[in-house]
Amino acid sequence: MGTDQTDLLARLDQLQLLVVTGKGGVGKSTVTAALGVHLANRGRKVLLIEVDPRENLHQLLDTPPSGGEIVEAASNLWLQHIDPRQLLDDLVREKLKVGALVRKVLASPVHLHFTEGAPGLKQTAVFGRALRMVEGHGPKELPRPDVVILDAPASGHGVAWMAAPQLVSEVISSGPIGKMAAEIAAFLADKERFGSIVVTTAEEMPVQEVLELLKAMAIRLDRQPELVVVNSVYPPAPKPRAKDDDATRLWIRRRQVNEAELSRLVAGFDGPVVEIPLKPIDAGPLLVGVVGEHLTNAFEDNDGSP
Amino acid sequence: MDPRKHSLIIVVGSGGVGKTTLAAAMAASSAGAGDDTLVMTFDPSLRLKDTLGVGLEAAENITRVKTDTTGELHASLLDARRTFDRLIDRYAPDEEARQRILTNRFYDRLSSNLAGVLEYMASERLFEVAHEGNHDRIILDTPPTRQALEFLGAPARIVGFLDSGALRIALKPWFDKEGKLKATSKLGIVGRNVEGFLDRMVGLELLRDMADFFRAFAPLYEGFRERALQVHDLLRSPETMFVLVSGPGEGRVADTLFFARRLTEAGYNLGPIVINRVHPILDENDLKKPSEGHRLLAWLGRRDHNAVAELRDLVGDSHPVIEIPLLADEPTELKSLSALGKLFESRLDEELEGL
Repeated sequence: MGTDQTDLLARLDQLQLLVVTGKGGVGKSTVTAALGVHLANRGRKVLLIEVDPRENLHQLLDTPPSGGEIVEAASNLWLQHIDPRQLLDDLVREKLKVGALVRKVLASPVHLHFTEGAPGLKQTAVFGRALRMVEGHGPKELPRPDVVILDAPASGHGVAWMAAPQLVSEVISSGPIGKMAAEIAAFLADKERFGSIVVTTAEEMPVQEVLELLKAMAIRLDRQPELVVVNSVYPPAPKPRAKDDDATRLWIRRRQVNEAELSRLVAGFDGPVVEIPLKPIDAGPLLVGVVGEHLTNAFEDNDGSP
Repeated sequence: MDPRKHSLIIVVGSGGVGKTTLAAAMAASSAGAGDDTLVMTFDPSLRLKDTLGVGLEAAENITRVKTDTTGELHASLLDARRTFDRLIDRYAPDEEARQRILTNRFYDRLSSNLAGVLEYMASERLFEVAHEGNHDRIILDTPPTRQALEFLGAPARIVGFLDSGALRIALKPWFDKEGKLKATSKLGIVGRNVEGFLDRMVGLELLRDMADFFRAFAPLYEGFRERALQVHDLLRSPETMFVLVSGPGEGRVADTLFFARRLTEAGYNLGPIVINRVHPILDENDLKKPSEGHRLLAWLGRRDHNAVAELRDLVGDSHPVIEIPLLADEPTELKSLSALGKLFESRLDEELEGL
């Protein structure tokens, strides 16, 4: 694990865009927030972007809601909640410029249904925004972020997000939209600048989905995640005894399942895996701090040097 | 409020709460009570797939599960693409129309990537099967919550789209015989500029292909629309009952309530709300030397039970709230599924008595 962790730290220090993906309910937002705090503490300027309509990253960072604006959450750490729908409308405004025409297009049923239904458009727009921030085209008052971390919406289909710009650039192969999609696709294909992190729990279905995601990523994108974070792991359990109560028996069994699923995961992924133990702490800034410490220790573990 | 009195049960809820297992358990109980039951799964675990006999070989066929129950138990797994293909087969007026769609370069991509297609195909498949009338009861497992809202809204959205100006605009013959944009040809130099603009933005070829795609669907439009309305009616029929499954963890209570309200406001018949995988209560004071692990378990038990109590409070008498414990082993065999089904029913009976 030693070499893995050195490489991982170097990678995390270099990548300009990180996507955090994972099934619903695995604690992705907590891990995203903790990762952001970790990198900010290492001196990188971090912008967290959240697209889930149930805006909740701000609560985890003890910050007022973004409301669509970029808010400072801590030293070197900013947060923005984005509505992909809004981004697409902004794109129309920018490209069409003529006010009356813009209003007609935005209100037209073709536009509404097309942007809701057309595969890959929203994802491409979100990546496009992230790329522009990274290249320093954000608001002038804000320092250019060193890294943008995108908290992708809870989904078992992480590959769809990462493959979207390529899909769009193939369908719309000309014009400024096609060109933008192609540029974004090229950025996502650059292993020196873009990486992904998968969050899961050590249970059968989540691990199964991760293994399938890894396969899909390898085939479609020729890459693998930088890191898999396994959340909510039960602590090592005592040896079973005849007079164990229900709760202890449950603990023993859940720990066994965790261990079996961890093995299955490690057998299918040769990159770094970090386990985060279950904590008796509600989701919130305290838990983010604890998870952040855990990540920091895990990244520096076996390495000798910070 | 009792799903056992309904012939179509739709199980909805977030991802990762054990919805599919619960749907299978209810189906096992239903068959045990003597009713021929079909459970339509969406995304079962590997072992559950084995138990139910669904998966690659079965494709989307309905398989008979070997049981010793008095009623038959059947299972199926959704194959969205095949369902879509069948929908085309059904409504295409002739072979030529069918081929135009299947060979359009958008069909392949859109049929698997278009937002909401998967969910729409789930409801379409449900309608196909319900219409065949081969079962006393159908239990439908659905995609995870936010997508489930799409699932429910899919027929209405299709109708909305078909009825809106979008399709009419898309169906207009945009291009004249020379392949020039008709709308612009009368505008002289201005028209050529608009055409140039659109070509520069997305490419005229794309527009042509898209127009072709919509025109290829035109003969199917009426059929699709009628079908969407029928599915819409089925989901709201008095024979249909929704069961909402949730977990006790962080933020779930708010989500569950939100979804329950959306369902009832939209006119769907919501029955029981199930809180699944609840940690047992452990009293640390009972232990001589509680380890950190025991204290963690005690905390989890308290957290989960507090969440259940909070939900019960907020739901009041409007729906039975059923608590299912976190089991040491995920039920994947028929025996354990039946046991879970029986547990569900006994808790449901307790709740119904109290209401």
